[in-house]
Amino acid sequence: MVGEPFTPDEQLAVCIAHQVNDGEVVAQGLATPLVAAGYILARLTHAPNLRFASAIGQGVCQDWAPLGVASIESLWLGKAIFHTTFVQAAADVLPCLKAKEFFRPAQVDAAGNFNNIAFGTDYHRPRMRLPGTGGIPDVTTYSDEIYLYVPRHSRVTFVKTLDFVSGLGHSEKRIRGKGVNCLVTDLGQFDWANGRMRLVTYHRGVTVERIQAKTGFDLEIAPDVHETPPPTSEELHLLREIIDPLGVRLLETLGGQARRDHLRAVLEAETPTGKR
Amino acid sequence: MPLPELLSLSDAAQLVKSGDTLGLGGLMMYRRPVAFVKALLQRPNRPTDLTLLCFTAGFESDLLVGAGMVKRVRSCYFGLEAFGLAPMFTEAANAGQISICEETEASLALGFRATMGGVGFMPGFAWLGTDLLRLRPDVKTIQDPYTGETLVAFPALHCDVAVIHAVKADRYGNAILNNNLGVDLELSMIAGTVIVTAEEVVEKITEEVHIPGVRVTAVVHAPGGAAPTSCYPLYPIRGFEVLRYIDACNRHDFVGYLDSFLVSGVI
Repeated sequence: MVGEPFTPDEQLAVCIAHQVNDGEVVAQGLATPLVAAGYILARLTHAPNLRFASAIGQGVCQDWAPLGVASIESLWLGKAIFHTTFVQAAADVLPCLKAKEFFRPAQVDAAGNFNNIAFGTDYHRPRMRLPGTGGIPDVTTYSDEIYLYVPRHSRVTFVKTLDFVSGLGHSEKRIRGKGVNCLVTDLGQFDWANGRMRLVTYHRGVTVERIQAKTGFDLEIAPDVHETPPPTSEELHLLREIIDPLGVRLLETLGGQARRDHLRAVLEAETPTGKR
Repeated sequence: MPLPELLSLSDAAQLVKSGDTLGLGGLMMYRRPVAFVKALLQRPNRPTDLTLLCFTAGFESDLLVGAGMVKRVRSCYFGLEAFGLAPMFTEAANAGQISICEETEASLALGFRATMGGVGFMPGFAWLGTDLLRLRPDVKTIQDPYTGETLVAFPALHCDVAVIHAVKADRYGNAILNNNLGVDLELSMIAGTVIVTAEEVVEKITEEVHIPGVRVTAVVHAPGGAAPTSCYPLYPIRGFEVLRYIDACNRHDFVGYLDSFLVSGVI
C-alpha cells in the first residue's frame, strides 16, 4: 500500500494525536503548534471529550479554533470556559490536575532526562543560551503524564551527556512520578519500557540504521519494531484543511531561512494588507 | 492609599530608578507594556542596572537588554514565542554580559505567594532531581515538618516597580485586562509602585475588574501601548514589526532599529 503522500510534521501531529485518550486533560505549552495540531486532531477523531489546558490565557477549553500566529489568542482566549492567573495555574492547577503534556527538548539523553537551559556546560558563558525552561523542572519531577517530541531528530538533540538537566527523566534521583512515557520525532517513536530510550516504530521511508546514526547513544530496539502507521486521508484532510490551513505547525519542523519565509507567509495570510 | 495619579508616559517613566527590580506585566507576545518601555528608553537619563522580573520576558524586555539597561533577569522564559529567540538577550547571555536568575513557573508562582502571604518562602515539589538547585545556590531545601519529606523552599520575590498594560482603567486605578492574565494581579499586589497603562481611561468602571486599584500608584493613558505585542481583543500581534526587529538585530543593527522605533508610533 502506498497511500497519500505526507510530510514529517503531519506524521508527528498524528503520532501526538494517537497518544491522547478520550476524556483526558492535555496541557498546551507556549510556541508548540505541532502539539496543538495533534491535540485538536485527537479531539476531532477519537477523543471528543478532550479538554485543553492552555498556557496562553491559563484557561481550560472544550472547543477549539484553527491555529494562528498573530491571532492565536482568538483560539485560547476566545474558546476558554475558565481562567486563572499563571500563579494559580503553576502553584495549584498543574500540580493537582497533572495534565498530559508534550515538551520539546533541546537535548535528551538515553534515560529521557532533558535540557532546555543552554548548550555548553559553562552556565555563565554558554555556547548558546536557550529561552528557558518554563514549567519543565516543575512538572517533570512529579507528573506521570510527560511526553516528548523532537521535530528534527539529530545528534545535536540526542546526546550521551546533557549540558544541564532541566527535565527529569528515568533518573535515580526521581522521587515522585514516572518519567517520560513516549517520544515522537520526525523519524520514529520511542518508549522507555526498560528505562532506556527504545525505538518502537520507524516512520515510512526511514530505516532503523538511519535513526541510530542520528542518535548520539546506543538505542534499544523493541523486538517487534515496525513501521509507524501512516496518517490516514481523513487525518491529513483534517490537519490541512480544518485544523491548520495556514500551516503554523511547520514552524516547528522548518529551520533557518525556510522557517523565516514560512513565518512571513503565515503572517501575510493572517493580516489584512492595510495592517502590515 | 490615596487615589492614583494620572500621569503622562514620560512622567510615569521617571518612577523607575537605577538598580530597581522592574516587573513587566503581560505574557509572551501578549499585552506587554511596550509604550512604557519606550518612555523609559526615551528618558535622557535612562535607568541602569535594572533587574527585570517577568513571568516570561519578550520583545519589551529585549529592548531594555539591547540598550544596556539590564543587569539581571528573573524569568522562566525569555524569547519571542513563534518568532524565535530574543536576539539581544541571547547575545548578552552568550557573552556572559547579563546575570540570569534561573526561574521556573513554580519558583515564580510560589515566590509571589510567599511575598503576598508575608512569609519568606513557600514550599513545593518542583526542581527536585534536576540541576535547578545547582544553578540557584540561593534556593534551599527544607524538611516537611509533618511528613519528613524534602521540599524546595522557594524564596519570596521582591519588586520595586510593576507596569501593567490594561484594556481599560479608571481614575481609581481599577483595571480590566483580558483573560490572558499572566501574573499581573500578583505583580500589582507585591510591587512597591504599581503603574497601569491603559488603552482607555474612564472616570469610573462599574463592571468587575481584574486589578483592583487599591495598590495602584499611577494610571497612564497609552492607546496602542502594547504594540507590537497584542492587546486582545483590540489588536493582534503586529508580526511584521517583530520581524523588522529581528532582521535588524540579525544585521547587528539594534541601534538603528531602536532609533526608528523611538520616533515611530508603532500601532
